[in-house]
Amino acid sequence: MSGIIPAVPREARQGVFFDGESAAAHEVRIVLDEGAGLLLLRGEGIDVTWKLAEVRLVPDQAGQGGLVLRSATAPMQRLFTAHRDLAESFPARHRPVKQVDRGRILRWALAAVASVALIVFVLVPTMADQLARFIPPEGEKALGDATLGQIRGALNENSSIGVRVCRDPEGVRAFDAMTERLAAGVDLPVDLTVTVLDHPMVNAFALPGGHIVFMRGLLKEAGTAEEVAAVFAHEMGHVASRDPTRHALRSAGSIGVLGLIFGDFAGGALVLFLAEQLIEAKYSQGAESDADVFAYSVLAKAGVAPSALGAMFERFRAKSGDAEGLAAHFLSHPALGDRIEAARVATPKGFAARPILSEAEWAALKGICAR
Amino acid sequence: MTEPSGSGPWDHRDTDAIPTQYRRADPTPLDGDFVGNRGRVFALALRTGIFTVLTLGIYRFWMKTRLRRFYWSSVRFGGVPAEYLGDPLEKLLGFLFAVVILAFYIGVVNLALMFLSYSLFQDNFVAYLLSFVGVVPLWFYARYRARRYVLARTRWRGIRFGLEPGAWGYAWRAILYWFITLISGGLLWPLMTFRLEKYRTDRTWYGDCKLEQEGRWTMLLPAMRHMLLALLVGGLSIGVGLYAIPAAFLLPLFCLPWFAFGLAYYRAKSFELLTNAKRAGDIVFLSKPRPMRVFGIYLWGNLLGGLVASFFLVPLGLAAVAMLGTLIGLENSTGMVLETFASGTLTLIGILSYFAFFLAWSAVTHAFVTLPLWAHFSETLTVIDPGSLGHIRQRARDDFEEAEGFAEALDVGAAI
Repeated sequence: MSGIIPAVPREARQGVFFDGESAAAHEVRIVLDEGAGLLLLRGEGIDVTWKLAEVRLVPDQAGQGGLVLRSATAPMQRLFTAHRDLAESFPARHRPVKQVDRGRILRWALAAVASVALIVFVLVPTMADQLARFIPPEGEKALGDATLGQIRGALNENSSIGVRVCRDPEGVRAFDAMTERLAAGVDLPVDLTVTVLDHPMVNAFALPGGHIVFMRGLLKEAGTAEEVAAVFAHEMGHVASRDPTRHALRSAGSIGVLGLIFGDFAGGALVLFLAEQLIEAKYSQGAESDADVFAYSVLAKAGVAPSALGAMFERFRAKSGDAEGLAAHFLSHPALGDRIEAARVATPKGFAARPILSEAEWAALKGICAR
Repeated sequence: MTEPSGSGPWDHRDTDAIPTQYRRADPTPLDGDFVGNRGRVFALALRTGIFTVLTLGIYRFWMKTRLRRFYWSSVRFGGVPAEYLGDPLEKLLGFLFAVVILAFYIGVVNLALMFLSYSLFQDNFVAYLLSFVGVVPLWFYARYRARRYVLARTRWRGIRFGLEPGAWGYAWRAILYWFITLISGGLLWPLMTFRLEKYRTDRTWYGDCKLEQEGRWTMLLPAMRHMLLALLVGGLSIGVGLYAIPAAFLLPLFCLPWFAFGLAYYRAKSFELLTNAKRAGDIVFLSKPRPMRVFGIYLWGNLLGGLVASFFLVPLGLAAVAMLGTLIGLENSTGMVLETFASGTLTLIGILSYFAFFLAWSAVTHAFVTLPLWAHFSETLTVIDPGSLGHIRQRARDDFEEAEGFAEALDVGAAI
């Protein structure tokens, strides 16, 4: 610097610079040129200039005794200095440096969600449907036993054995009589196993391997033995078309995927949720109306008016005040009115109905959970 | 854990600033140091933990990144801190990628296994077993990949670390050595420790400098001594107690904490022995951790964590009791609305205290277990550089976009 007017001394400080090319440390003088908006780093073999607006603090540093600095445009270089007051000179020091393209993340996120949806809603159901056709009867029975165990456990968390199975001998005899009458002349792929669970839910469902499960609540709500028989026949329709087997295989496939996404601590709730899904058994509308049609023929053969199914549906609709269990399921169905109508139409004019159970048997059936 | 005041770039006394031709011939020890303090890591873990809960888990990628930045920047050798450069979004990306692959595995493969298991054995046990066995190699694979990602995003003195690809090779070796360890009743544990550490170390790079694990697995045998002695004395005293003096039954009570100390001793000793047998070119290491200190950190840190965290379980317990009372009272109650409201509040209290328990546990164990352990292992480690550090050149970036997605999805239990 020559001249008469002495140069304005620019503040100089010391620091250590790493160029990102070798591990050697370079001692540098740090010169702040606020007029030009530049930070000059000068040392032996080092002549680096950063724009003040591009200088960033490296975030989440544990050390509070100095600064670790970088430039947004020179990703490999680092400057260490003990002069914390320098930070004031970098207006954008806290602004994050973008490292990953946001659009890419979004595309990936969408692709991931789509793939998982494809697996859960297309691939697994398709496979389950195919496999359900090939599972041997013993295997299907074992699957049903395991599923029933899970449901009993899920409905009663406080007991290790799960919710109680009702076994009043009179009631069991009455149910056997009903089963015999309904199953006569029907060709089912598996033998039926009827179970009554001591639970207030108004519900009945079919499980793999010919399991048909009634809940105490449904027997309590039913007005006549014929209404119970109608629900029974409907569930037989599901057994005949193996809907529960497909359903159980599907949930075997989806259970882990959901666990993977939602993590472990929601695991307990997840099992409960899936058991509920099994009970709710949301089959397709087609599967439901197929089971209805199946029920009409079973009921007609057994001498029960198919309109009994409609009567049971009416009862669910009347009970819409507390929408839970099967009632909620049927109520949510938009075509419930149509199904009631269809059941009425399916009953031929002048149908000669015979009572499915005697008065005494019906009373015994209602009291199957008494002991 | 105070701020260093006599070394490093902060007051520019780093020896590597001296031009090579003037450098002393004798090796320069770069002493390890750790500057992070409990209070800050506690606050950071708590704050990011709360965000994670509020965002239904999405923030955990940011939480992990920020905690790592903090820990990495705490570790200093010769006064220069390390730097962690992982990006939360690339972690999210890797997680999504892993979820797709695993969703396929869990959905399709498990369904097929379930079908076969029921068809052939009328039971689901075989399916669960095979499904578990199928995940085991993936678990080790994920651990190696996670390490590769973390090293690729670690820099010190501006130079990247790196790990060569080799996750499947690691997975089958890990399974083999685990198997050997199990059938030898744990006696060959040092063999596993050494071989797996050698596999990882021999593939680790610092810039263009390759690390090497030297030594033999047998050098780790003495590190087992406290575990083996505790087992031996415990077993013998049970024998003596059964057949001769019943009072000898008291001894196994002391052997349990002794065995726990043995585990900490093995951890510290094997780290020391392995580290001292590592080299990076002609740079060597000197580690001198104190087993008693390591044991103390584990013991008191976890006790404190358990104590503080369980404090937050008290409301959960009270809510559960109150809820049970409500359920019992429900049968003959008329004030349904009131009861529904009460049970809603109780559920909320239960959920809040459940999350508070995990948040408190995570924050306290960061402050009283993870951080003191890092501090102790860093402060007792010295890097001895004969003057070649300055010649190490940069290595190319390992893009590795999958990040640690598999480790995240499989929850392989990495420390941080």
